[in-house]
Amino acid sequence: MIKRNYLEDLNNSKKPFIIYRSNKGFDLYTDFSKKIILTKKNIEKFINQSTKLKSKNKETDLFIGFFGYEILNNLIGIKVKKQKGLKFPKGIFYKPETKIKLPNKLNYKNLGIVRLNKLFKININKSSYKTIFDKFKKKIKSGETYQIKICTKYSNKGKIDALDFFCRLVKSNMAPEAFMIKDKDYSIISCSPENLINKKNDFITTKPIAGTLKKTKKLNRIKALAFFKKNIKESKEHNMIVDMERSDLSKICKAGSVKIIKKKIVEEYKDLYHYVSLIGGSLKKNTSSLNIIKSMMPGGSVIGCPKISTLNLLNKQEKESRNIYTGSFGYIRSNGDMRFNIIIRSILNHKNNSEISVASGVVIDSKAAHEFNENYIKAKALMDLYK
Amino acid sequence: MIYIIDHKDSFTHNVVHQFENYDNVTCDNYNEIDEKKLNKSKVIVFSPGPGAPKDYPISSGIYKKFKGKKKIIGICLGFQQILHCEKGKIIEQKKIYHGYQSKIKVTSDNSLFKKNRKFNVGRYHSLKLKEPFAAKNFEITMRCAISNVAMAIENNKENVYGFQFHPESFLTENGNLLIKKILSA
Repeated sequence: MIKRNYLEDLNNSKKPFIIYRSNKGFDLYTDFSKKIILTKKNIEKFINQSTKLKSKNKETDLFIGFFGYEILNNLIGIKVKKQKGLKFPKGIFYKPETKIKLPNKLNYKNLGIVRLNKLFKININKSSYKTIFDKFKKKIKSGETYQIKICTKYSNKGKIDALDFFCRLVKSNMAPEAFMIKDKDYSIISCSPENLINKKNDFITTKPIAGTLKKTKKLNRIKALAFFKKNIKESKEHNMIVDMERSDLSKICKAGSVKIIKKKIVEEYKDLYHYVSLIGGSLKKNTSSLNIIKSMMPGGSVIGCPKISTLNLLNKQEKESRNIYTGSFGYIRSNGDMRFNIIIRSILNHKNNSEISVASGVVIDSKAAHEFNENYIKAKALMDLYK
Repeated sequence: MIYIIDHKDSFTHNVVHQFENYDNVTCDNYNEIDEKKLNKSKVIVFSPGPGAPKDYPISSGIYKKFKGKKKIIGICLGFQQILHCEKGKIIEQKKIYHGYQSKIKVTSDNSLFKKNRKFNVGRYHSLKLKEPFAAKNFEITMRCAISNVAMAIENNKENVYGFQFHPESFLTENGNLLIKKILSA
């Protein structure tokens, strides 16, 4: 049993720590013996060496951290021009020496008084959103992309108590890939619902989400499924992601082994329903961790399709760095097993600057006003924490 | 050996796995074509991909060089690539199909497949063939059951085949069978 006020003490100690959703509650990682800041130069070496720790059996024989959006582009040979935004590392990984299991209910109360800034700035207003939207629609008509996600960013200045934010966030939304990182000059809080890589031995799965429905009293799982099935736009987006993820897995899996394990099912969360598929396959012999990461990242469902031409279109358009947004958080164990999510529904606070990025998809039948609003709804759930 | 040219698509490796059911496959990027392996191959496959056939002149060159000498199969963009080389016009269509499952029909007596057979396929295309289209030895053998848009071409004399839809998609019924039949033709 951990002490009642363990989290409070840890938070007050200023020691960096990470919390990641587990099957039964949360895992907390701390006492970091190594911290690796990723650059274009060291990333491949880092991934290759992450599985070369001497000890391979302990629960802490792993590197945990995140890859930002830009470095994942670089890793697959896509350039991102210089962008504005926070000067934040492209990726950071830690080697923990302590792992502690936490229950579902996190016991932490913020007692220190932090005055929160409620006001947010948005980087793209409705009319410039419409302009970008129309431009991308033309690209869909000409076949350069089939689906593309426009990112908008909300930002503000001010101190936050990341642990307090995280506890409140998971109380209202127990997302299966929720995590937080707290380090000296930055913190990340996320209620990501989406697993990108789950690799155990030579079996790998990915679990894309395409389609979200807000819960109401009239809805249940069966009705939600009927809604998604009837909604041709949602179905088409989902189909596209399923075929794309099958193809990404096929790069590294044995021929004939890639299967849709759960096809277009509805998963129920506290406030919403997700339209989800689970796809898996058996890895080819001697597939390296680097190869797996390059094949799967950045996760297609939050980029669009086809991945490379869509990434190029996005990078040409976007003036501000996505930083962590649509990157991946997770761990590589020294035995080669991995778990990574897609970083969405997240707050990055760096030197007391917060940013919340959100995106929604443009397909041929999308409407600009609707998608702009969807983005706002997604961001609002996080901005509400500042109240 | 089957040589697949990847037009940087996010579905190409589904195509690779589908063909690997029947033979060894090499798949290279459009920008990194291996001449030696290409020359050695028995079958060339043009993958799906973004954009239009005019964006991929190297593939057009390969088509013209090997037509009649090797079996050539095109999928989606690859299908349009073949048509483009055969002087067909590829144009934008009003209704766009991305991730769409629709019914198509075998419309020709000369097809490897049975006339009037209908089945569901997965479609991902912004562009289509402008008709009328005519080229020597080519026949349009499948069409969309609703809009009549060309869905497959066959040239059984020179062994050229193409599908506008995606036989490798999970939305396509009996996709493996289609490929098997074409490969053994």
